Amino acid sequence: MAQFPKNVMVIGGGVAGLATALTLSDLGIRVDLVEKSDFLGGHAIRFACKATDECVKCGACMVEEKLGQAVADPSIRLLTGCRIENIERNGRFKADLTRRPAYIDADKCTACGLCYRDCPEGAVHRGYSASTRPFYAVDVAHCLQFKDQSCRRCIEVCPEDAISLSGEPQKLTCEADAVVVATGFDAFRPVSKPYGYGRFKNVVTSLEMEDILRENGAPVRPTDGEPARKMAFIQCVGSRDASLGHLWCSRICCGTSMRMARMLKHREPELEVTFFYIDIQTFGRDFDSVHRRIQEEMRLVRAIPGDIYENEDGGLKVVHQDVDSGESVKEDFDLVVLSVGLTPAEGTQEVAGLLQLRTADWENPFGEAVVPEGVFLAGAVAGPMGIADSVADAGRAALEVRGYLDGKPGGK
Amino acid sequence: MKEAQKIIDLNQADPQKFRSWNFLQDFCITCGLCASSCPASGIDGFDPRKVVRMVSLGLEQELVDSKFPWICTMCGKCEEVCPMQINIPDLVRSIRGLRDRDKVPGTLHKGLQAALKTGNNLGLPKDDFIFILEDVGEEIAEEPGFEGFKVPIDKKGANVLTTVHNKLVNTQNEDLKHWWKIFYAAGEDWTIPSDNWEGTNWGYFTGDDEAMKTMTGRILENMRRLEVKTLLWPE
Repeated sequence: MAQFPKNVMVIGGGVAGLATALTLSDLGIRVDLVEKSDFLGGHAIRFACKATDECVKCGACMVEEKLGQAVADPSIRLLTGCRIENIERNGRFKADLTRRPAYIDADKCTACGLCYRDCPEGAVHRGYSASTRPFYAVDVAHCLQFKDQSCRRCIEVCPEDAISLSGEPQKLTCEADAVVVATGFDAFRPVSKPYGYGRFKNVVTSLEMEDILRENGAPVRPTDGEPARKMAFIQCVGSRDASLGHLWCSRICCGTSMRMARMLKHREPELEVTFFYIDIQTFGRDFDSVHRRIQEEMRLVRAIPGDIYENEDGGLKVVHQDVDSGESVKEDFDLVVLSVGLTPAEGTQEVAGLLQLRTADWENPFGEAVVPEGVFLAGAVAGPMGIADSVADAGRAALEVRGYLDGKPGGK
Repeated sequence: MKEAQKIIDLNQADPQKFRSWNFLQDFCITCGLCASSCPASGIDGFDPRKVVRMVSLGLEQELVDSKFPWICTMCGKCEEVCPMQINIPDLVRSIRGLRDRDKVPGTLHKGLQAALKTGNNLGLPKDDFIFILEDVGEEIAEEPGFEGFKVPIDKKGANVLTTVHNKLVNTQNEDLKHWWKIFYAAGEDWTIPSDNWEGTNWGYFTGDDEAMKTMTGRILENMRRLEVKTLLWPE
């Protein structure tokens, strides 16, 4: 029998990392959850609830719930703002971490948002969950005080005296009996695609659309804050694309975008939604019924658009094939959502190097991961995966860790 | 019925048919980016996505009989946007090559026949060609700043040899002047051959490899004959 309590280091504070940590905690194992950014929840915490008059099982609330539980769990040490410098292995794992100073004191901050509102450089970022403490963080790369000591605006406006723009990075050590890598994915940045992304403000990625919905509850246009009346979704942007070296299907985009569109139509029946798609990739046993309803509720165009032009009022002309006439036509939309694909996270390679781990090659169906003993993968680090699948995968990983710590052969 | 709506008998399909063509046509995921981007989409039902699928399915007779390959201008925008990097323009050219030559659309077929026989698509006699060039040259010489301008025909050892698009000695004489004035202003040492001067290569456009080689070979022969090392081929 293993000697408890054991300690496990989970790398990555997204939904897979949070769920792994919680399951391990349930199994009586202590966890160091290491996250490089200032906030927990990863990409998934940005997702808005997609419920219509019924829950559509999008999983967005699950992330909020896991995050709240992890924050409240005394067996989980949450280490945000951390960089892993080195991992030694001598039976157990010993990781040297550098943690950025907490420029905003979580105990004093009341999340009033004055620092966020007043920062002239937009260098104060905010989290996506009320469970995130503090709710705001300072991005030193864009802060004037760190650049040339010329601005103390946030310190001055903070009524709680919670901000200090000084402090030394902290050196920490994590000793662990096992390591779980849950470094997730990166979202494709569609700047190379002919859709004016980055130049036309009303062309947004699906993740940015989640942010817009969480903030406004409606699909408002970035240019004028007015709700869109006619929206387009363009699927497979950055997926199934040999020119980018992304041959894989990202699996989550059809479901996420269709659920999003249904939720928007439910709230605003007058909203016109057009889906430009190749074919609908359905995963999960409930998806066929969603797809059937989508076909009744929305216009589906089986052609990916070729170009987007911007009108003077910020509206967009989308050039696409009209599948009835076969002609290439220009059609006006208020807002275009690019359903961007998932790519392997850049940060994964660094972690993989420290652990002598080879993650799966997404491009190559035979490029299986090579994982050393005592190391486990959870969630989308292994390949494109949605919220529910990531949580399920995290459960599997946690049980494998438990088996390994119990000394079962191979632990898996 | 429009070509786009014709029902194709898939019993004719022979997916092995064009396997030897290496245009990556079998990688098509039918996303439609080509059809959305194509300036000719919808003309008589033309649809580049369908062309690629027809090749992938090996529908040879349908392709040979179809107008589609002849509506395409082979501008290459589809290839530029294709996420699977399918070489659609070259694929279209290969389909054109499958047609019996006497069934190639009239203008192209007759023009190419004339070019192979006379050296240019119009069948323009050499004396007439030289007369037109010199006439345009004289007009330039009358303009201020271009005094003494002369067209250097068959000039041995020139730096640049340039071909001529047949329309420039047919209906669009004025357009000859732009290039020539630039050459003059730049002090370029250039020449035009009096034989086989045709710049368009309808062997290329009609998928006729032999004719394409003949036309190209003639230009090379002109370069050897006039000892010119640089070719300006403004087709």
